Amino acid sequence: MINIYQVAFKNLLRKKTRSALTIVGIALSAWVLVSLFGFNNGYEHSLNRDIDNLGYQMIVTAKGCPYEAATLMLKGGTGLRYLKENLTNEIIKNREVEKITPMLMQVVLDPNKGESGGLAAFLGVDPATYPAMKSFLKFQEGGWFKPDSQKEVVLGYEAAELEQREVGDIYLIPEKNIELKVTGILKRTGTQDDGTIFVPIKTLQQAFGKTGQVTGIGIKVSKDADIARFEDKMYNLPDVQVVSLIQVKQTILNLVGTAKVMVLSIAIIAIVIALLGVINTVLMSVLERYQEIGILKSIGAMPLDIFRMVWTETLILCGIGSLVGIVLALLLAQISDLMIRRIIPYAPSGVLVQVDLSLMMFTLLVMVLIGLLGGIYPAWRAANIRPLEAIRAEGE
Amino acid sequence: MFNKLLPVLGVLMMLQTSGLGAVGCDLNEPDRDVKRFFSEMTSYKTEYFSVKKSGGEKLYELVQQRYGAKFKGLYETIDVPYTVYTVLIGKTVVGYIHGVNQKGKYGGLQVFLALDPKGIIIQQYFQKMTGSYAGKFRDRAFSSQFAGLSLADFIGYDVNTGKIPPKSKLNQIINPVPAAVDDFSAALSGIKKNLILMNIFVFSQKEAGK
Repeated sequence: MINIYQVAFKNLLRKKTRSALTIVGIALSAWVLVSLFGFNNGYEHSLNRDIDNLGYQMIVTAKGCPYEAATLMLKGGTGLRYLKENLTNEIIKNREVEKITPMLMQVVLDPNKGESGGLAAFLGVDPATYPAMKSFLKFQEGGWFKPDSQKEVVLGYEAAELEQREVGDIYLIPEKNIELKVTGILKRTGTQDDGTIFVPIKTLQQAFGKTGQVTGIGIKVSKDADIARFEDKMYNLPDVQVVSLIQVKQTILNLVGTAKVMVLSIAIIAIVIALLGVINTVLMSVLERYQEIGILKSIGAMPLDIFRMVWTETLILCGIGSLVGIVLALLLAQISDLMIRRIIPYAPSGVLVQVDLSLMMFTLLVMVLIGLLGGIYPAWRAANIRPLEAIRAEGE
Repeated sequence: MFNKLLPVLGVLMMLQTSGLGAVGCDLNEPDRDVKRFFSEMTSYKTEYFSVKKSGGEKLYELVQQRYGAKFKGLYETIDVPYTVYTVLIGKTVVGYIHGVNQKGKYGGLQVFLALDPKGIIIQQYFQKMTGSYAGKFRDRAFSSQFAGLSLADFIGYDVNTGKIPPKSKLNQIINPVPAAVDDFSAALSGIKKNLILMNIFVFSQKEAGK
């Protein structure tokens, strides 16, 4: 004996094109929804990972020098400003500080790079504190320089690739003609570390005549510390600027928030359109079967049976559409990722659209619920058809 | 507003991701650089090749066999992308530009060759070289010595020992810095590698009528 699901399914197959188009509409809505929520998950996760990978949550620089990387970009490396290295002793006294590391960035113009020369940037780091703070950095070859080392260098993977260096090779600081021995090559991280040339800070200070000077101090704040209060405390130090990564993260999230609102609006519109599509399809189907439903009722079908039959049709449409949309979202996640990277102001490394099982189940549930909600009116109309009127209408 | 965003910009640069593929050797400014090699050119097209895509392991072995040494190190891998610039006047191909990375004593060498349609060197150019003497190798007086040479002249060059066959035209190439033997050898090895790869990616394909 044929059951209610089979009847509903056969009804949908009567108008294949219309049913297929409705499913496509629902699938697109589900795709947008999964991608949007997947982006919501993935973006914040990747951003947090990138910030964690910096190893510190706060950077102290000289006032007027927002951050050396920005200065390098905007002024071609000529606008670096310096802090006294002994400021680290003062900062470390604060109980909020878990770890601290001084850094010195220096840039030289290498005349033998390209037609008119190119910049080579070096990051002077403290062998005693920097590796401990960036403990997640893994090595392709070798390791960090020894705490008391002088003429050594560690290269990010891409820097090493460009310079074709391996552990044990010599690396020359252009212009200064200082030879350094390569002690380590980092594995790829997908961050700026890949292109960085790490030199012991003392070596860099001597080479560039910047003894006792640094361009930034990285601070890892202890977990229970009030970062905002500590940031205010840092501003009491003379001539410093504090860049908190919490603040940076918030700014990025605010910038991205605008894009998210736009996409969410589109998703809501898409869902509403899909919902109207479902109502339209099922209602049309009910009106076309007006007489047929009347006959069904005249041979004993109860209003609840008719209601269930029509509602089941809605359920099938929404279920199939949602599943297709979820599969689409999974298959096109990488394309969505690329598209999002083009439009948002900052894209962290890693996966931007993270689709997991719970998100898929959630989307399926939401789409089916919305569909069932939309199916109430057509099902109610069908359930309330009067058999005699319906049969008479056929005769007319 | 700008002041508020600047620190963020700085940190974003620190966080900024980079590509994860093997690094090839591209011209820094193709529009300008191609014109410098072929002043009459009207257009150029850029194509990407890799040994992996062109023939896989078998080809990789063949390249190393012709080169005369195993590719060493982390970077001379099978999937390195090579960029070939095909230079045109109207619809006629007038030459090719191709660069390779080569290990030098103090850093990486980027060895570019401008070739005519038959694979003869028109001009050699080090886009990048590290060393206090690098300027002498990048000088026209050195690079112009390679004009007119082709793969046939380099095939006998031993990249392991730096030995040049007695009758080879390479004997006429003068090392501008006699003390920098390592980088002189690296330069010749880089040119040989460049010519072998061009032969495989372009000229042998042309001969095969592909």
